[in-house]
Parts: sequence; structure tokens; C-alpha cells
Amino acid sequence: MMDSVTWKIGGEAGFGIMASGTMLCRTFSRAGYHVMATNDYPSLIRGGHNFITVRIATEEFASMNRDVHILVALNYESVEKHKEELMDGSLVIFDPKDGEWKEGDFQKKVKLLPVPFREIVGKFTADPVMRNTVALGVTVALLGAPFERLSSVITDQFKKKGEEVVKQNLTIAKAGYDFPSEKSFVLGPSKKKERLLVINGSEAVGVGAVRAGLKFAAIYPMTPINALITFLADHAKNLKLVYKQPEDEIAGINMAVGASIAGVRSMVATSGGGFALMVEGLSFAGVVEAPLVIDMGMRVGPATGMPTYTEQGELQFVIHAGHGEFPRIILAPSDIGEAYSLTVDAFNLADRYQVPVFVLTDKYLNESQWSLPQSALSGSVEIDRGKLFSSDSKNSNGEFKRYSLDVSDGISPRSFPGMKKGLYHADSYEHDEVGHVTEDTSMRTKMSLKRLKKLEAMKKDMKAPKIVGDSEAEITFVSWGSSKGPILEAMKLLAAKGKKTRLIHFSWLFPFPAEEATKLLSPVTRLIDVEQNATGQLASLIREHTGILIKEKILKFDGRPFYPEEIVEKL
Amino acid sequence: MSTVTPDSLKTNFLPTWCPGCGDFGIWMALRDALANLRIGSDDGLIVYGIGCHGNMHDWVNMYAIRALHGRTLPVAQGAKLVNHKLPVVIISGDGDCLGEGGNHFIHAAKRNPDLTVFIHNNEVYGLTTGQASPTAQAGFKTKSTPEGAVDEPVNPLTLAIASGATFVARGFAGDMQGLSALMKTAIEHKGFSVVDILQPCVTFDKVHTYQWYRQRVYKLETIPENKIKALEKAMEWGDRIPLGVFYKENKPTSEDRESALADKPLVDLPLTIENLEGLLNEFY
Ligand SMILES: Cc1ncc(C[n+]2csc(CCOP(=O)(O)OP(=O)(O)O)c2C)c(N)n1
Ligand code: SF4
Ligand SMILES: [Mg+2]
Repeated sequence: MMDSVTWKIGGEAGFGIMASGTMLCRTFSRAGYHVMATNDYPSLIRGGHNFITVRIATEEFASMNRDVHILVALNYESVEKHKEELMDGSLVIFDPKDGEWKEGDFQKKVKLLPVPFREIVGKFTADPVMRNTVALGVTVALLGAPFERLSSVITDQFKKKGEEVVKQNLTIAKAGYDFPSEKSFVLGPSKKKERLLVINGSEAVGVGAVRAGLKFAAIYPMTPINALITFLADHAKNLKLVYKQPEDEIAGINMAVGASIAGVRSMVATSGGGFALMVEGLSFAGVVEAPLVIDMGMRVGPATGMPTYTEQGELQFVIHAGHGEFPRIILAPSDIGEAYSLTVDAFNLADRYQVPVFVLTDKYLNESQWSLPQSALSGSVEIDRGKLFSSDSKNSNGEFKRYSLDVSDGISPRSFPGMKKGLYHADSYEHDEVGHVTEDTSMRTKMSLKRLKKLEAMKKDMKAPKIVGDSEAEITFVSWGSSKGPILEAMKLLAAKGKKTRLIHFSWLFPFPAEEATKLLSPVTRLIDVEQNATGQLASLIREHTGILIKEKILKFDGRPFYPEEIVEKL
Repeated sequence: MSTVTPDSLKTNFLPTWCPGCGDFGIWMALRDALANLRIGSDDGLIVYGIGCHGNMHDWVNMYAIRALHGRTLPVAQGAKLVNHKLPVVIISGDGDCLGEGGNHFIHAAKRNPDLTVFIHNNEVYGLTTGQASPTAQAGFKTKSTPEGAVDEPVNPLTLAIASGATFVARGFAGDMQGLSALMKTAIEHKGFSVVDILQPCVTFDKVHTYQWYRQRVYKLETIPENKIKALEKAMEWGDRIPLGVFYKENKPTSEDRESALADKPLVDLPLTIENLEGLLNEFY
């Protein structure tokens, strides 16, 4: 019996590869298994090579691993491209019409299971696209799960398309299920404790946003945040919010700032290129002190880069973006749970400090799917809208001082247009306490300091880096964002070899927690910075704020997420 | 209830426009129109662009956002979707609205939000000291076109009509009363209203003076009955320049088309989710 199985399916784009990954995940998560799916696809709609990898395990785990137990090939390339990831004992499933592979064609001692996908689909006069459904049936049988688990998932998946479609998919899945004569990868029993959901990073951000009371989002489509658009647009009606597709990202951020000034929680989402267009708008939010949440989904740059691949290349960009000096907060979720919880935090922080707050995600986090206990998304949510208008803050003319300097933390109460006696001006020019333009030396200096004072106030909310592992460790990894998962898995592999390791991980990145970081990092003898970029952007940030130079780095920037095995090998 | 007057909509600051600037007439007409509509200081929102026109921000006593150069329309659309009961008016320039913000203009017109945009059309970039604006007539000499502008101008009216604006008009800063009446009608129209306002820049434009305009402008008697006729009229320029309403149509607004706004403005809605269980079930 297996406690963890990694399954990969590959084929052309448009062959329902992604959907089969989701269905396999749900088939097992509903039975209490922990699952994860990562996708890999080129930036095109038809053709090309697409694959999705699913890991199913009886215990919780933090990332995908490299070694594949079962490879399902829906075309010739899928065998050839993934040969190297196979181990002794791996199983290769393919249609003999795609190639006549022999066991000797592989470096490792693999087993072969030819499945006549096209023939099976043809027998039921179904669309050849449905080969993936046959593959699902075969897989569920190999893993030793009852067919009913798969059939309920298929039924839910295709319900909307009508009974005929459901019936045909079930028939084809059953034909696949009945095909293998032995169940060679039977999973051990799950330790089912609570209801598990399967959700991707963008959706978790979306759930966080709507639970925090998001009312307005203006998002121009861009990988990897498109699933957030789908989620918000699908729920705009029943959750009573507005999702607007703007003409460009410049319009997007300016709409969102307008919405924020008018009084609701608003957000934008984009990737590096779209954010580059938003930079001027960010500075506008900064000067008018409008709360704003920005989901910045990183992908490979520069420029159009590799649109559907992952990277952590924008940390220094978001820290420094925007002309002029104004405060901001940057949070980078390290896992699916934080994609949700840090988004909720982001909205509260944005309102509390009246600043832009970044949720710095990436393609790997946004588009991968994870199982997550439902309770992680359904706990109570505290909503803090920060300091709001009351009629007592007035200047000598009796006007409301929206930008009152009479505040030690730099945060002055705000009103919304239409509120009686709350009149003020939200001016993109430097302004006085009411919001009228000023070029006066003293007022300019005071206003600038008022805004920057918030950086000091924010510190009390900024969370210290997380520490995982052994205090006696000979190696301490340092990382941020979604690199955490592969590092945690690498630490398990190292522990199995008797190596003690530790991780100091930053999700709360800016304002940088310099004091805690210094305390934690300075006594360590061997620090290794692990990031998905070419220049070690977190290491630079640490050097800037603590003086500590991390000499050893494991950096990856080929667009693919870290595998735990890779981190171990690079030591 | 205190009464709204053009004076109550004035701040204590004195305008810094050049003496004789057409912006003065627009400023007076705007306050007159708002007072006639009984929109008081706390009751509406004005979004200003960046330019000489946008400096009006400090001289009108009403909730205001002075946006970035060119970005008035997205900011105004965001605010309007959040509070669709709030009258929202935009003061923009020919450079602001049709140059830097040109794409926003086309898309705002296509969506038909219930907004009114007044374009101070002076054929120049006043605030940056007199370069050609997108509406500069071919041959017009400015600081950036010493030999005369080589390109053909953008026509704000035809662009607005073709893009889907549902109220399209032209006014003249030298006719305060006529302009005030036109501004009032434009604000009252439910949908995207564009008013192109001929605004003499006395400092950087020695050609299009009050005198020059007065010799040419005339008022349209009736609103042309369809888009083609409206476009024909909108293309008339030269010895005779028509003023008035060129096009008017009733169509659902962007706000009408958002089901979330059916009962109340977004800003008045509760922040909690009623059926969380149901929402999360989608991920089971
Ligand atoms: C992004 C950006 N680019 C350029 C400027 C400089 N700028 C300020 S006002 C202006 C042009 C104003 O022209 P117009 O909108 O016609 O207004 P007017 O001054 O004529 O009323 C320019 C280019 C700016 N503020 N922001
Ligand atoms: S430069 Fe022209 S537009 Fe600007 S204030 Fe002077 S006259 Fe008016
Ligand atoms: Mg101008």
C-alpha cells in the first residue's frame, strides 16, 4: 500500500487535461486524502504540450514532488518528454496507436500499460477528447478506490451540461475503470477528519476578498489571475458586488481608487506587465490615502516573458513602484491557507492604514489546486474599516480636515462623498488638511511626514517571520512566498537522511520586520537563501535592512516551481 | 435646508487663471447649473483632470477628486458604480480627456455610465504653457508646432457619437447663460453626457479669440433626429460653428446593468455573506 502517489497526465491543449486533474483531486479529497495539482501549459489554446501533475497522499504535505508513479500519455510527446521523471516501478499508460514503446526504451525499470484509449472512446461513439475520462477511470481503479467516488465527482462536474453528457462520461469512465487487471498502486486508508475542499490560489484570494466585504473589483485579464476574475464575475450577482472589466490596467486601478474613495472595499489584480501600467495609479492611491488591495500574481518576465510560468521576480518592483515616497504593505502568501487569510488581512490593513496593500502571489500558487479543510475558509472574519468620519475634526473655517495633521500615527479619519458635512477634496497634488493644493514648504513637509509616519504605526501589525524545524540545525533556509512548500518537503527528505534543518520564512515582507529578522538571522552560521528569481531579491532586502549578507543561494528562474528533490541536490 | 446658490458653491480661494480665460465662464456656468439643480456642496462629486481646467478643483465647494492627468473617467466610473445615487460630474481638458485619456473616453462612451463630462476645449495644453492639444486644427501654430500643426484634429463630438455617448453637445465659454442651461440639461440626462466647450485660451491662442468664436457660432434649433444626421452636424466647422445638442438617446446605463445595484448603492450594502456554505460548496 502506498501513502503518497504522484500521477501525471499529458496531452495537447484542448484535451481536457486540466479538468481531469481537478476531478481526480476531488475524487480523493472527498474521501479525506490530501491532494495537490500543478499544471504546466504553454501560452496557447490548442495544440502544444500540456500536462498536469496530481499528488495524492494519506498525510498532509506541502508541495509537489518530482518522481512520478503513474504517467498517462494522451499523445506521443507525453511519453518522450517525461521519461526522465520516472522511477523503478513507475507505470506508463499510453495508447498503442501513439507509439510502440518497450520496457527497454526507458532508463528505469518501468512497467507499461497500453490502453486503447481511442478504441474505447470510439466504441461508445464519443468525442476523442473524452480519452481523459477513460484515463480517470483507469487511474481510480489502479489506486484501489471504489468507482462510486469517481462517478459522484463526474456527475457533479457535468450536471450543468445535461443528463446525456453525464451518462456518456460515466459509461466511458466505467470502461476505463474495468480495464486494468491489477490494482498496482493502492493507497492506504485516509485519516479523514474533516471536510476537505479543493481550491486554487486565485480562488482562495477571491474567497478571502468576498469574506472581507469586497464590493468592487476592476481587473483586466492576465495570467495568472484569471481564475479570480471568473470567481468574482460568477458571484457578482448573488454576493452583490461589482466586477468591471476595464479597458486596460490604468483604468482598472483608477476605477478601484475611485470606488475606494466612494466608500467600499475595492481591489485590482494583475501580473507584472499589468502592474507596470498601474504604477502611476498606485502613487495616486498613495497621495490621496485611499485603501486599496492589489493581488499581484507574479509570472516570468521581463515583458511578456513566459506568460504561463511561475517566478518570484517582482518583490523589489512592488516595494519600489510608484513615483514619490508613500507607505505600502506587502504580504506574500506562503500556501493556500494564507492566500485566503492574508487577503482578509490585506483589506483590514488597507482600511486601517489607508494605504495600498499587496497580496503578492505567483502562477504556482494561483493556478495550483490544493486540498484545504473547509473550516480554514469558514471561520469568523473580523472586519476593521479603520478611522471614519465623525463631525468633530474641523479647521478654523469649519471645514472637515480629511488629512488632519493632528494625528500621532499619521492616520486621519475619512469620509465618503455624499456624507453630510464630510466634504473634502481628494487631490492628486500635494494638499493641505482639507485637500486643497499646496506648495507651501512647511505644509508639504508635514503632509509627507504624516503619510510616512504610518510606516512606524504599521510595525505593530507586521508579523515576524515563521520558523519551522530544528533549533540545532546545521542549515537554515531563508525564503518567502510560495517557495515554502518545496522547502518544507526538502527538509523532510533531509531529515530522513539524518540532516537537521530549519526554515525562516517571510510572508509579511514590507514594512520589513528588521528587528526580528536581525535577531533570528544574526546568530545563524549557515544560511541559505531559496528564491524563484535570478538575483536573490529577499536576500537583498535582508542585507538592506539588517546588514546581514547571505552568501549561499539556491535560485531557480526557469519558470517551473522548485521540486524538493532539487533543493536537496543543490546543497 | 440651506439653499444652494452659485456663491455657496464657491470656496474662499481666488482663481489663478489668466484674466479673461474662458475657464471663468465655465466655472460660473457650472455653479449656476448645479445651484439650479439644487445639488449642494455635500450632495455631489466633481472629478477634475490635470490642466488649467483642473485647477477649478480648488474653487468649487463640493466633494472632489482631482485625478491624475487623463484618468478622470475611470475614477468617476468607479465612484459612480459604488454610489449611483450621487451626481458625478467631470471637468476635463482636451488634452486630458482626448490625449492622455483617449482610450478611457471611448470605453466610457460605450458603457454609458450616468456621468457628465465637460471638456474645456482650448486647442492647447494650457498648463504646460501652450503646446498643441489633440483638438488643434491643422496649421495651428503653438509652442510644439511652430510651423503649424501637421495632423488633423480629433473631433470630440463625432468621436463621442460614434463611441456610443447618449448625450452629445457643444457649448461656448463666452455665453455663460446658454452654457449654464446646456450644462443643466447634460447633468439631467441619464447616461454618458459629453459637452465640448469652446474655451478661449487668451494666453496661448491668439487665433481662436472670443471675437473669432462670436463671429461663427450659431445655435441648433432642433436635435438632429438620428446618428448620421448628428454626425453631419458635428462635422460642421469653419465659417459657421453650431452650438447646442447634437445627439440624445435613452439607453440603459452601466449602473442599470449591474444587478448588485438593484436595491441600494454598493456603499450602503452589508459586508457579510449570507450563504457561505453554498459558496464554499462549489469547491467540494
Ligand atoms: C502623466 C502626465 N503627463 C504629463 C503631465 C503634464 N501635464 C500637465 S497638464 C498637461 C496638459 C493639459 O492640457 P489640457 O488637458 O488640454 O488642459 P488645459 O491646461 O488646456 O486646461 C500636461 C501634459 C502630467 N501632469 N502627467
Ligand atoms: S493659459 Fe490659457 S487656459 Fe490656462 S489659464 Fe491662461 S488663458 Fe486659461
Ligand atoms: Mg486644453
